[in-house]
Amino acid sequence: MADNLLEVKNLKKYFNTPRGPLHAVDDITFTIERGHTLGVVGESGCGKSTLGRTIIGLLESTQGEIRFEGLDITHPDMKRKKELCKEMQMVFQDPFSSLNPRRCVAELIAEPLKIFKVYKFAKERDERVFELMDVVGLDRRFATSYPHELDGGRRQRIGIARALAMDPKFIVCDEPVSALDVSIQAQVLNLLQDLQDERGLTYIIITHDLSVVRHISDEIMVMYLGCMVEKCDAKELFVHTLHPYTKGLLSAIPIPTVKEKKPPVLLEGELTSPINPKPVCRFANRCKYCTEQCLQSAPALEEVLPGHFVACHHVREINGL
Amino acid sequence: MSILEIKGLEVKYITHDGTVNAINGIDLEVDRGEALGLVGETGAGKTTTALSILGLVPNPPGKITAGEIFYDGRDLLKESEAEMRKIRGNDISMIFQDPMSALNPVLTVGDQIAEVIELHQKCSKKEAMERAMAMLEKVGIPAERATEYPHQFSGGMKQRVVIAIALACTPKVLLADEPTSALDVTIQAQVLDMMGKLQHEVGTAMILITHDLGVVADTCDKVAIMYAGEIVESGSLVDVYNHTAHPYTVGLFGSLPSLDKDVDRLQPIDGLMPSPMNLPEGCKFHPRCPDATPECAKRCPKVTEITPGHKVRCLKYEGTEG
Repeated sequence: MADNLLEVKNLKKYFNTPRGPLHAVDDITFTIERGHTLGVVGESGCGKSTLGRTIIGLLESTQGEIRFEGLDITHPDMKRKKELCKEMQMVFQDPFSSLNPRRCVAELIAEPLKIFKVYKFAKERDERVFELMDVVGLDRRFATSYPHELDGGRRQRIGIARALAMDPKFIVCDEPVSALDVSIQAQVLNLLQDLQDERGLTYIIITHDLSVVRHISDEIMVMYLGCMVEKCDAKELFVHTLHPYTKGLLSAIPIPTVKEKKPPVLLEGELTSPINPKPVCRFANRCKYCTEQCLQSAPALEEVLPGHFVACHHVREINGL
Repeated sequence: MSILEIKGLEVKYITHDGTVNAINGIDLEVDRGEALGLVGETGAGKTTTALSILGLVPNPPGKITAGEIFYDGRDLLKESEAEMRKIRGNDISMIFQDPMSALNPVLTVGDQIAEVIELHQKCSKKEAMERAMAMLEKVGIPAERATEYPHQFSGGMKQRVVIAIALACTPKVLLADEPTSALDVTIQAQVLDMMGKLQHEVGTAMILITHDLGVVADTCDKVAIMYAGEIVESGSLVDVYNHTAHPYTVGLFGSLPSLDKDVDRLQPIDGLMPSPMNLPEGCKFHPRCPDATPECAKRCPKVTEITPGHKVRCLKYEGTEG
């Protein structure tokens, strides 16, 4: 049996708004094996960050179940919540606003160690801070610098060092590289991979950049307006793209080569509102294969090819399966 | 004939902490109707280049210390402020990076487009509004939305409005500063597609400033790669993408995860961009360059044209003119 670190079953997260419930995450089910990476892709507003935050416990789920190492962690009490912090951590999107500007680098990294009173003596703790700085490739001379003195790549390394401080098993990375320049982005991606190889970490990488997820993930999940529309092995997604939305997303990515290009399948229109959605296919208004059926019922997630799940009424006709 | 030509431009920002060498002698040429991609990382001097063309470098602290910028034979750096105001928005216009903050929140989008037309094309308020509405239709927004305010539009729609403002007076040169970086990929594809069509229709020359080599490959004819205020490599798309010469450009391509090839590890460029206050001696890239020799730290390389139109600023290629 596969060693599943995390199991998520029918997870829902609704936000109450004056106009009705906003379905940020709607009925999402998946599992991640220990040591694997799940990439979550989608456009802004599709609920990918909310999903990450709900799993980590920053937001309370509306419905559904989250199991971590086989134990239910959907509604932990305060004590359990604190313990979970040692096991699962998060790297935040924007290294420019997620760090306290009035703390220096060493203090920032030491914060989790202080909260959990890991070390009796400050000297031991400082030693560990330097060790963590080495791990993430931050020069020790920055220990007394403040975040504003550092560039984005180094700041993101502080965020990663903080997440690693308690030796977690599982890290949710919310857009870890989107605020960085390409050459720095590559350095951070390599660091994340090295850490996974050394420590057997399990990741959820949330991003809008398909080339990044393809590079770093074992499995990819594509989200659209709170729903999972396609999920499969990372390489498989690019060979057999089945859902019309994923096809549009893939063809929209500008590719840095000067080959003869296929005319892009432009997706028309924009996201519809996630507030009080009708029980229909949420992609219907942008989909060129849309039929009567799509406007009447929401498609269920189906295993179309082995290990390849798609939520679309017409997936077989479209792809000739 | 080139519509815009930059020769030996140097821009410095003089601050309390020291002098920031933002642009250190760049040469650039754009022909009529042509699209040039200006690629570089944060702080490479891309936006400052665009601002200098429009005479919008904030002074103080910014100062253009050397160089010439020719638009249609006129040196823009010698024009008076009154002349520049006539040129801006009419002959040369700019699309700003962030559509969320580039629009005035208390004016309707129709008014904001009409403002440019009224200022530059002697016409009545009513006519300006009509033309503004026609412009909105052109960028794919129904004309009846002209009376709405920016907050009623989504990010992609706002960027379309900004593009409508920039193209309202059919400028000869369009400077687009990261026009799509704030947008989602599917919306980015729509906006780029529309910009390409309009650019051909209007016959505007475009300088597209971006950090995304993919966007350039989709929309431009020529590329210039900027690093630390210098253009390190320039040429046609084929020159730069298929016959990449400068080690920095090679590094940029190596940093990109690919959609169709399997790479175990990315090959990033080591180190960081130097601080523009404290640029290294000799070649600005040598501390990060895998091919650096002791010579590189001593002498600043000259631009070498390795094949016609393909220029590289690297000692490796000096004396190998094709």
